[in-house]
Amino acid sequence: MRLPKLTRTLALGAALACAAHPAIAEVNVPLGFAGDPASTAWSGAKQGLAEAQIQGDFLGQTYTLTPRLTEVSAIIAAVPPAALKALALAHPGVPVLNVSRTEDALRSDCQPNLLHVIPSDQMRADAQAQWQKAHPGSGAEARAWHPNFEKYAASQLNHRYAEATGKAMDDAAWAGWAAVKLVSDMVAREETTDASKLLEALRARLAFDGQKGQDLSFRDNGQLRQPLLLVETNKIVGEAPVRGVADAENLDSLGPVACARAH
Amino acid sequence: MKTLIALLLLTASAAQAAPRVFVTNEEGNDVSVIDAVSNKVMQTIPVGKRPRGIGVSPDGKEVYVAVSGDNGIVVIDSATLKVVRHFNCGDDPETFAVHPNGNLYISNEENAKASVYNPKTGAMVAEIKVGLEPEGVAISPDGTRAIVTSESTNMLHLIAIPEHKTVANILVGARPRAAAFSRDSKTAYATSEISGEVKKVDVASAKVIGKMPLADDKAKPKDILPSRDGKRLFVAGGRANRVFVLDEATLAIQQEIPVGIRVWGLALNADGTRLYTTDGASGQVSVIDTVANKVVATVPVGKMPWGITIVN
Repeated sequence: MRLPKLTRTLALGAALACAAHPAIAEVNVPLGFAGDPASTAWSGAKQGLAEAQIQGDFLGQTYTLTPRLTEVSAIIAAVPPAALKALALAHPGVPVLNVSRTEDALRSDCQPNLLHVIPSDQMRADAQAQWQKAHPGSGAEARAWHPNFEKYAASQLNHRYAEATGKAMDDAAWAGWAAVKLVSDMVAREETTDASKLLEALRARLAFDGQKGQDLSFRDNGQLRQPLLLVETNKIVGEAPVRGVADAENLDSLGPVACARAH
Repeated sequence: MKTLIALLLLTASAAQAAPRVFVTNEEGNDVSVIDAVSNKVMQTIPVGKRPRGIGVSPDGKEVYVAVSGDNGIVVIDSATLKVVRHFNCGDDPETFAVHPNGNLYISNEENAKASVYNPKTGAMVAEIKVGLEPEGVAISPDGTRAIVTSESTNMLHLIAIPEHKTVANILVGARPRAAAFSRDSKTAYATSEISGEVKKVDVASAKVIGKMPLADDKAKPKDILPSRDGKRLFVAGGRANRVFVLDEATLAIQQEIPVGIRVWGLALNADGTRLYTTDGASGQVSVIDTVANKVVATVPVGKMPWGITIVN
């Protein structure tokens, strides 16, 4: 299927996608998944895989997501804290993307290859505090995502996920989706599948569209900067950083940015 | 009698010559028609749920409106301002561009494809696979190329016409929203909403030959248009509530023109002296003098004005 497509493009004699990306033409991008295949983190990651492949089809890349964790470009992980730390240690130089654990200690530890797509407990607490400051007496809960979120093309993502899985997209599903999508974004932009090059690029140059209206990047402590949603009785009531209380464009008002110790 | 006929003819031609600005109101489910001489709304036309993209037939006789919520295109007679027909065009049509041959190139946001329709018959001419959440569509003035932007795949898909084959997929900044060609069809321009930048593309080589961040975190650019002389680019700054005026050669920002809140749509009049903007959250159209680079009128329209076009 790939070769005839290439030939057809050549026959047109026009400028080529492949010519523009010689380094990544016809390449495999293997991604590993550590965690429960019955989790929403897994179904979210599968959704991300399907969408990464749409891009891959145009650029000559084939994405796979399997439980194999060796010889991969990145690992998506939905495992308990101790296992997560061990996983990052066992695969130095490989981006390990945490999509389910919210403990701040995992962030402040600053393992060099451990990145956190799911927001931390402190980020959520800060978002809730901002909301209470702006709306005294109101007790909203902060979340990474909500299946009824519509702005910034969120409704399209929710629709695609629901269509594919029959489920409503929860926080871990969004994080699983985002983890695969942001890796594929870097693979395309950096024209590499090399894990350590991707890790460097993810830390330094990510400007990811998480369908939350802002470009998302990683903090020094490995946490993905991101707006959060405020939810009351399962209804979205606002977004954080909360306008009027914090600078809506400065995502670092949510949670710590730095490592607990110098690296 | 002769004088009377001459007078009538003069009045008729004058009436026809008066440019009209057509604006889709996304949340108002209607189209506002502005008399470009008086800068007043002369008519409001109900069209259906969530109208967004809008364009004019090459002969100026028909105005097309993509009614996203009703999965169709509504056709308005530009003289009588009446809806004359509509046709279905696949899921969630967002925007489209009109080819010099009259066909519409439509982005179907939910389906990762672009489709080509003949608006006279309502028949589909072709379907082209593109990336996720296709949005902006532009057609080169020479009619040989289309660009479709895919917002969630971050690409400009360069499509050959009439083959309807994708000849290049150009990776750009996050969430590319709109594109436009230069008059000579050799250069294309695109905005990326999330990365807040403008990219300039050489069409023949399909290479990015320039980029400019709008240097403002709040800038979430949408529409982009070259000036009639091709020397400047106008960019609707979205949340920046400004129109950016860029030098076409260097992409340097020459001017920033404050307009209403959430400026999305842009249209130029025939001689290029007036730029019209849709200021979504302000529910208004701003009229910019492109020589003085300032707003000379604001026209209240419907709820969440989005798309805009001019019948000259």
